[in-house]
Amino acid sequence: MSASLSAPAMRATGVWRHTAPVLLGLGRLVLGLAIAAAVWEGAVLAFGIRPEYLPRLSAILSTIAATPEAYAAGFLRTLLETLLGFAAGVLVGVLNGVLFLRAPVLRDMLFPIFVVSQTIPVIAFGALVVLWFGNTLLAKAVIAFYLTFFPVTVNTLLGLQSVDPRQVALLRSFGANGRQILFRLLLPTALPQIFVALRLGSSLSLVGAIVGEWFGDTTGLGVILLQAMYTEQVTVMWAAILCAALLGTGFYALVSLAERWLVFWGAEQ
Amino acid sequence: MRGVLGGVLLILLWEGMARGFALPSYTLPAVSEILGSIWIQRASLISGGATTLLEAVVGYGLGTTIGIGLAVLITVLPWSRTALLPVVMAVNSVPVAAYSPLVLLWFGIGVSSKIVMVTLAVGFTVFLSALAGFDRVDRRSVDLLRSFGAGQAAVLWRLRLPAALPLIAAGMRVATVRSLIVAIVTEMLGANSGLGWIIYQAVVQIDFVQVWSAIFVASAISLAFFGLIGWIERRVIFWR
Repeated sequence: MSASLSAPAMRATGVWRHTAPVLLGLGRLVLGLAIAAAVWEGAVLAFGIRPEYLPRLSAILSTIAATPEAYAAGFLRTLLETLLGFAAGVLVGVLNGVLFLRAPVLRDMLFPIFVVSQTIPVIAFGALVVLWFGNTLLAKAVIAFYLTFFPVTVNTLLGLQSVDPRQVALLRSFGANGRQILFRLLLPTALPQIFVALRLGSSLSLVGAIVGEWFGDTTGLGVILLQAMYTEQVTVMWAAILCAALLGTGFYALVSLAERWLVFWGAEQ
Repeated sequence: MRGVLGGVLLILLWEGMARGFALPSYTLPAVSEILGSIWIQRASLISGGATTLLEAVVGYGLGTTIGIGLAVLITVLPWSRTALLPVVMAVNSVPVAAYSPLVLLWFGIGVSSKIVMVTLAVGFTVFLSALAGFDRVDRRSVDLLRSFGAGQAAVLWRLRLPAALPLIAAGMRVATVRSLIVAIVTEMLGANSGLGWIIYQAVVQIDFVQVWSAIFVASAISLAFFGLIGWIERRVIFWR
């Protein structure tokens, strides 16, 4: 119900209530990163860790600075695959959830198959997916999609099923049609649950994209990782790992931020 | 019942599509063809599956132990939380798969690198759920036990652990599937045995019936592992 009250007035007060902690958290994050960087650099120097194991942070950063275009291109490519797969996974997952709610027969028939499909090491499909869709961006997005859609389906269904039937009856008695009930009551109620899956899916889709790139591609963070492994360039590998960490954390933070904005009445934790 | 029906329908549809449209095996081999190939290749599939299962189970054991141990440590020694948690979170912010090439360089292409990777993946999953479980305990319940003279260990054993077990178990169940996936992915990058290695070789030889056979065996193993842990969980956590 509360979602339908999202009047501009409520948004305006919501802006401050939600921006302030975000800024504070950002400040703490920067401080934490600075300390971590100092500890890393110091530990490598102090313990004399050999660069084959852990290179100094400054060495890794200067590797990135030496050829920033390669890392930027890989970053963007992987980002694009992740986002495409994630978006498709969320869309299909939510649709599946709604469909399963409306057609329990379908749910009983398909849900066990979905569960089994997730115990399959999906990544083993990577080679097949690349064969089916060609060595394209689409193939990697499909793998990311495959990893994302299942948690979204499960949590959408859980969220939709948690709606109080009396609320549905109330809305119906006011003459609301099926679509209005879905958009005004069911989906807003399920939103906190859905976002739990979205946060999980954000990291899963990145894994899917990176692993997908291992089955043949020319750009992407996964490709940089693999090539660095073959040429035994540990610094380059760490540079790619840092980029992946940045991408993963950034995407996760973005999803969490969207959650704060959309689920302003309090997220499920 | 409907689930079984759905599964049967899926297999029939698959078989019908592959036979009906005479799809080439690199697009989609028929289920019967895959099962036949599994039977022919059973010796190599069993030994590959055994290697993968060994890596997954050893890594799973280590990861679970380390994950729960670390969570207990942080719970018992609150000051270690501020020191350890940021490090763990930073390491965890990288998708686990991205560590595979690095671990392969460090530990070689033998069994040990896969065990390390599985330990890493399982450890994080179990640690995060165990920590969430230990933190879930009501502060007042801890104080109550304390006032009756219970020590740290008693609070942990009698209060926190029972409260955290359902969450730990949920994490452990998710981790079963993850352990096999990570073992297979790492094998695909570099190994000399295992299901991932079989898949990789089959891809190189463009033998897609073989790929499917290995996938079938892998899913059967991971389903069995998942089922086993689920069964143990229902036995141990009877109060749920």
